[in-house]
Amino acid sequence: KSSTCVTPKIPDRCEPLSSPSNVLEEARTRLHVSAVPDSLPCRETEFEDIFNFVESKILDGTGGCMYISGVPGTGKTATVHEVVRALHRATEQEELPGFKYIEINGMKLTEPRQAYVQMLQQLSNQKATPDHAADLLNKKFTTPGPRKETIVMLADELDLLWTRKQDVMYNIFDWPSHRHARLVVLAVANTMDLPERIMMKRVSSRLGLTRMTFQPYTFKQLQEIVISRMKGLKAFEEDAIQLAARKVAAVSGDARRALDICRRATEIAENLSPSKTKLSLVGMSHVNAALQEMFSSPKVVAMRTASDQEKIFLRAVVAEFQRCGLEEAEFAKIYIQHTALCRIDGLKPPSTTEMARVCARLGSVRLLLVEHGRNDLQMRVRLNVSQDDVLYALKEKSGV
Amino acid sequence: MDGSETPIADTVSSVSESIPCRESQIKLLLSLFGEKRCMTVPAIFAYGHTATGKSAVINSILKTCKLPHVLVNCVECYSSRFLYEAVLNGLYTNNGRQKPETPVKCENMNDFVRLFRHTCMDLHLQNETVYIVIDKAERLREMDANILPAFLGLQELADGNVCVILLSEIVWEKFRCGTGFQEPFIVQFPDYNKDELLRILVRSAPEGYSAEFYQMYLSLVLSVFHIVCRNLSELQHLAAINFRKYIEPIKNGEATESDSRKLWKNFEPHLKKALQTVYLREVSSTQWERMLEESDAGKMMTQQGLSSRTHVELPYYSKYLLIAAYLASYNPAKSDKKFFSKHSDKHKKSKVIKKQERTNNHMLGPKPFPLDRLMAVFYAIVEGKVAPTANIFMQITSLVSVHLLSQVAGDDQIDVPKYKCLVSLDFIKSVARTVNFDVVRYLYDFV
Repeated sequence: KSSTCVTPKIPDRCEPLSSPSNVLEEARTRLHVSAVPDSLPCRETEFEDIFNFVESKILDGTGGCMYISGVPGTGKTATVHEVVRALHRATEQEELPGFKYIEINGMKLTEPRQAYVQMLQQLSNQKATPDHAADLLNKKFTTPGPRKETIVMLADELDLLWTRKQDVMYNIFDWPSHRHARLVVLAVANTMDLPERIMMKRVSSRLGLTRMTFQPYTFKQLQEIVISRMKGLKAFEEDAIQLAARKVAAVSGDARRALDICRRATEIAENLSPSKTKLSLVGMSHVNAALQEMFSSPKVVAMRTASDQEKIFLRAVVAEFQRCGLEEAEFAKIYIQHTALCRIDGLKPPSTTEMARVCARLGSVRLLLVEHGRNDLQMRVRLNVSQDDVLYALKEKSGV
Repeated sequence: MDGSETPIADTVSSVSESIPCRESQIKLLLSLFGEKRCMTVPAIFAYGHTATGKSAVINSILKTCKLPHVLVNCVECYSSRFLYEAVLNGLYTNNGRQKPETPVKCENMNDFVRLFRHTCMDLHLQNETVYIVIDKAERLREMDANILPAFLGLQELADGNVCVILLSEIVWEKFRCGTGFQEPFIVQFPDYNKDELLRILVRSAPEGYSAEFYQMYLSLVLSVFHIVCRNLSELQHLAAINFRKYIEPIKNGEATESDSRKLWKNFEPHLKKALQTVYLREVSSTQWERMLEESDAGKMMTQQGLSSRTHVELPYYSKYLLIAAYLASYNPAKSDKKFFSKHSDKHKKSKVIKKQERTNNHMLGPKPFPLDRLMAVFYAIVEGKVAPTANIFMQITSLVSVHLLSQVAGDDQIDVPKYKCLVSLDFIKSVARTVNFDVVRYLYDFV
């Protein structure tokens, strides 16, 4: 009866998406984060490990858990998807017995217990309340049945399945340990020590010790990823890719960041090239401009473009901090400093009302951390940037 | 007739006829409102002291110009849901249209904006400015954090011609919080000065008396009260209830209307007395009017006033307990030995010298003391032998429950609780007089 409902569908585009017309556009589509390549470079060993683990479980007809961790953008989910794709290919060639693949993502669930509902829906296309779904799944996994298929489950964003009683995590890791369950769970999260930090003893012991950590990409790997995507396309200079890779590897080793910077660099190159037909290669200068855009602190820019009174206010805050040696000052004290600074500059000092407005604006753009306006003169003010940043940003302007 | 068609000057004169001394504010608001179909500022914040005509001016402008508006008071609409529903339902009822069959239900800001747009469509208000007047707007700060920013930007959110008017007694600085919002247009309503007050008050002259006569009376009232009170409604009230006393000699035939000196002689002591009694609400206005009829008003009011009601009947030991609590609260603990132990006159000399530099304990307010000290002081001052029965401890807790004492740091009820004494010196003096105990002799500040 559930098959009567219509499949949800997005309306079609009025005009089809234009296909890339020049080299840089082609490069941009290939560099898009969502364009996952067929083979993931630099993750061969991890692929091998996960593949072997799942394959052995499928062949043995047993269940098990694996915990996969790594900082964002290191290819965890992509590798798991790749493994599943390879396993599917193997089953098609009848090298492996068949299996069913399901996937839950903690971020997509409104509430941890919705995981049961999702699991049940993907397994048997049934809809149920979380409690009922948990019962059904429990029955399915703990009682012997005529089921032959192994179930491979990817539990992404595992840390969001955390509840106070940890019953969701407990069940997900407990079911594979039953003899008849034949469930393989691949749990993915960002922190390496998540099982020790947030899980109870009985939950983390069920998770087992099969763990894998995805290290952040080194600059060579990042370079290889970009080059592999650019195969057969002459859009980048070698050094330009290396610069992007080195900069990203130094900060986070996030492949998405590297791809984003390269994409932005192609856009900059296209804008700067003399004509539409004769496009230049993406060079060091373009990548450098993209890096400046994405890594530079907007706070310094905000302080430099602030109005005169706002600049004086920031200087007054720093002066007050230096006077009293604390990192927090009352508005009334800053007002005194501000009027003094105004007199030095030969400006008319503002009234407290105007000052409150200046302070509120700086607070609303988060250059300052301010309290609620109701404790007006006693309002305490802190800087949200370092004092050196303030002095650096304001000195360059006034020094000229 | 259409309000927007009449020139602004006409409206100004008609509104300021009912509300004098507010021409500049009326002119400013009317020019802000502009014509009906024109867009106006998204939000106006009007502030000024109590009774400076904020609500009156805005209400009468909206009424005379027949602008579609809704008035809500944040004291009545104490939760965001009530506020939304009051605005939406008020839009229907205030504008003389038929009521919707079912009252509008609205839970959150998102629904409010959607329903507001629908309501404006329903009532055909798209082509004119809708005004939402929110009185006592300072209460908005205690509601959900999104209300104030959303109301200030309602014109943009609802994509319609709407103006939100916030009325408050406090300045705009005290509303700012978080990541900021659209600043409203700020209109200040300044206080009335003495002449303006006179001009407004004289409008309510009772019939039968000339305006000059009433103005004379009002200037007498103002000469006494203007130092302490500039609140228009308070002065109006005082002028109304005291007028009967002023004209008493005329009615008796002792004086005429022109006999101002005699009238003043007769009236002045009453006004001075009114300042101490009826203005502080120690006697209610009905009592005051009744007392004015009897000639010896002053004698009555000293006995009947609220402050003279500080006389409370207490049980015998409770009185001593209260005195002991007062002494423990206002005397430093190290002076207890001097006051309450038998032989300790030796140190008296040195204490007296130091007295000059110590601060007055009565200025700093009561200090907390433990139960042990209270009982020690109690046994030192009470006459005869008193057993520490349950009754005595019961009386301490009942003193707490009638708010003559208060328990501080009340986490532990049983193990040495701490108390503070909350009564005034006059009160404790009168209590001590009933048991023939001289409190002042035992108070560190007065020795």
